[in-house]
Amino acid sequence: MTGTSLRTYLLTRLALVVPMVFILLTLVFLLMRVAPGNPIQAALGGHVPPAQVKIIEHRLGFDKPLYTQYGDYLWGIVRGNFGTSISDNRPITQIITQNGAATLELTFFAMIVAIVVGVSVGLLAGRFRDTGLDVFGRMFGILIYAMPVFFLGLMAQLVFGVWLGWLPISDQASPINQALLPAHTNIMFIDAIWARNWAALWDVTKHLILPALTLGLVTAGVFIRLVRINVIRTLRDDYIEAARARGIDERKVVYTHAFKNALVPVITIVGLNFAVLLGGAVLTEETFNWPGIGHELVLYVQNRDYAAVQGIIIVFALVVVFVSMLVDFLNAYVDPRIRY
Amino acid sequence: MAKRRVRWLLTGSAVAAIAVAAALAATAYGGSKAGNNKVIIDGTTGTVVNIDPANEYDYDSFTVDLPIFQGLYGFPTGAKLKPVLATGCSHTKNLKTWTCHLRHNVKFSNGDPMTSADVKYSFDRVQKIKGDQGIFTLLTYLQSTTTSGQYTVVFHLNHPDSIWPYILSTNAGYVVDKNTFPANSILANTDTSHMIGTGPYKLTKFTAGQQAVLTPNTNYWGAKPKNGGIIIDYYSKSSTMKLDLQQGNIDMAFQTFTPTEISSMKKTKGLKVHSAPGVNIRYLVFNVKRPPFNNLHVRKAIAYLMPRQTIAKRVWHGTVKPLYSMVPAGLPGASQAYKTMYGAKPNLAKAKAEMKKAHVKKPLPITLWYTPTHYGDVSADEYIEMQRALNASKLFKVTLKSAEWAQYSGALGKVYGAFQLGWFPDYPDADDYTVSFYQPQSFYNNGYANSKMTKLIAKERATTGKARIANLKKMQTLAAKTLPTIPYWQGDMIAVGRSNVSGIPSTLDATYYMRFWLLTKS
Repeated sequence: MTGTSLRTYLLTRLALVVPMVFILLTLVFLLMRVAPGNPIQAALGGHVPPAQVKIIEHRLGFDKPLYTQYGDYLWGIVRGNFGTSISDNRPITQIITQNGAATLELTFFAMIVAIVVGVSVGLLAGRFRDTGLDVFGRMFGILIYAMPVFFLGLMAQLVFGVWLGWLPISDQASPINQALLPAHTNIMFIDAIWARNWAALWDVTKHLILPALTLGLVTAGVFIRLVRINVIRTLRDDYIEAARARGIDERKVVYTHAFKNALVPVITIVGLNFAVLLGGAVLTEETFNWPGIGHELVLYVQNRDYAAVQGIIIVFALVVVFVSMLVDFLNAYVDPRIRY
Repeated sequence: MAKRRVRWLLTGSAVAAIAVAAALAATAYGGSKAGNNKVIIDGTTGTVVNIDPANEYDYDSFTVDLPIFQGLYGFPTGAKLKPVLATGCSHTKNLKTWTCHLRHNVKFSNGDPMTSADVKYSFDRVQKIKGDQGIFTLLTYLQSTTTSGQYTVVFHLNHPDSIWPYILSTNAGYVVDKNTFPANSILANTDTSHMIGTGPYKLTKFTAGQQAVLTPNTNYWGAKPKNGGIIIDYYSKSSTMKLDLQQGNIDMAFQTFTPTEISSMKKTKGLKVHSAPGVNIRYLVFNVKRPPFNNLHVRKAIAYLMPRQTIAKRVWHGTVKPLYSMVPAGLPGASQAYKTMYGAKPNLAKAKAEMKKAHVKKPLPITLWYTPTHYGDVSADEYIEMQRALNASKLFKVTLKSAEWAQYSGALGKVYGAFQLGWFPDYPDADDYTVSFYQPQSFYNNGYANSKMTKLIAKERATTGKARIANLKKMQTLAAKTLPTIPYWQGDMIAVGRSNVSGIPSTLDATYYMRFWLLTKS
């Protein structure tokens, strides 16, 4: 099928990760320092005399030339030392594993929502083109795609949390469960299963519904439009016409032949949308007080926390790179015509 | 071939989805709202920087430290300074040597006995580490700490310091266990097994940005906490915290709601808004070297026009009070110097007279800076009111500018001529509201240096009792005359609790301390 070409392609992509991360890291390093303000001033500017601020800046090396700071930082990364955040004294690796896990949990379930809603509504709209169902599907797709994620989140909080009182509106779990559940993976859904604490798992699931639904629905808008167009196009393909001409049952033609082929391009768009999903996660996390990495990134940027921002951006970049590689691999796997 | 693979993928995804659904269904029957009626869950929008007292210099970190650690002095029951881990301290006549006698039979939460060696270790540690949050600056006058037996500690200062017991009440003076805290480095926030103090609670779990879990210290030497523990839940937005409080997901919230949210919660059934006069202040700073604010008459004209009542009523819905001195009303030594000098309400005629003396063009263009990322979005409304009042006088033409705190804090007096700042005290005493602002080279870089003021500061630090209070009042009067700053409001201390939480009013006082151990939940 794809043979060595895919292998070579993936290896090349893997090798390109290093310079890509290096360029990104350099850009973030420079941008953070070009922006006015610095983390020491942000932490101390309101209560410590300037002379003391200078002493602390000197001790932390913020008064060194930029190229020396850059060299020190790169050397740290090479040794696996990402440093410690200045604004809240956390090792960057801890931020990545702890808050990154929360983001992973949210984006994973949001992606499931996006795929389930996007694909099913898109398939139906494409299959029943120009009917009421199609109009509804298209309107729904446009509406949720155009809706800002924080607005959708606030509406969901208001309706399901405040008015109906069905679902919790913030956090990964209730405070008691957060306090008592041992953190093995920092993904509370898995930690609850690990602990065989079914009540906690139900609590975690309830907390997950609104944020995952909000983020997933916004992403589903793209899928609906794409799947619908693919279904319409596939239904016009020669092989579908041929199947119909051979007298194969229309349901079988549509559900067995047309739908499956229409879904192949969706794999690509799922991968591409993962980056969009991460961007959306920042706002969703803010709205639902979800302790993800995006939520932390906003705070660290505000505090000009160089080390933390650099560390988080690297993680975002790596995730997007590896997801797009995975998508390439899946594409090649399901469609042998694809060559790289 | 392709179809088969798609089929495999779809089948795999469907199996996974069914497995997840089955797991959820299996758990659904067991679902019930987790809860423990003895544990109180508190919400806050704050951020903890450091829990280790040697590098903690912000209110949110302090709120976590307060139930875990104690100093030789403190405010255990109200706004009056009292000995806590000490039974008392005496000083030499020159106020440079302070001898403190420790309380006997005090244990740390891990069972270690607290002795003078721990006290010396704690002070030496703060001075040695010189943490990047700057708390060590509170010990600037401390030359050395010595012990005399197991229960006596002697502090040798290089300068007379009448307020030394107040310094002992800050977290710079918190006593930590010498066996668990490293001598030369800060303990990580998550290292709860070593975060050992003598307070009524011990820290059992800390997850940055999410929650701090405090359980009662079974080795506590004093009265046991009135609840089964505290969980502090951290929020990024007060609106989410408000909804959670209304839904009963948290029991109380302290720090910080917007004035609109507070007004709304006052009308919400099942919630109770508790408030008491607080010591949090806002003020306008002038760079006294930068035109046009280097002209005292211009500053005086602004002082005459400051719309304190409008800001307090219209912007803050009555949750703050007009402030007429940097020292908030309620603290010993507070005067109303600005009220005496410029009146309680704006006075246009006097402002005009000052501007005439200033010999500047009218309306005078000025720029006022504020920072909503640090003091909240409501800061914009505050400064719009100020702009409106000054422009209405036709003496000024005000431009408002804002900047993010990270940028703002570095610029202050270096770049800005007139700018917003707020202050929360290191220790609740008038000294902290005067010396910090009026000494030369103060933190806000406004170029203010007044020899009379510098002498008064030295006198204040070298006197005690009534003489010290008299000096503090003189400092406030001189500040009102020379106007390096214009204070404009003093915030109430506000906590909102559900109706089943009691004891909140007993901790709302001028110290701004949330004493969790006094709270109960029915």
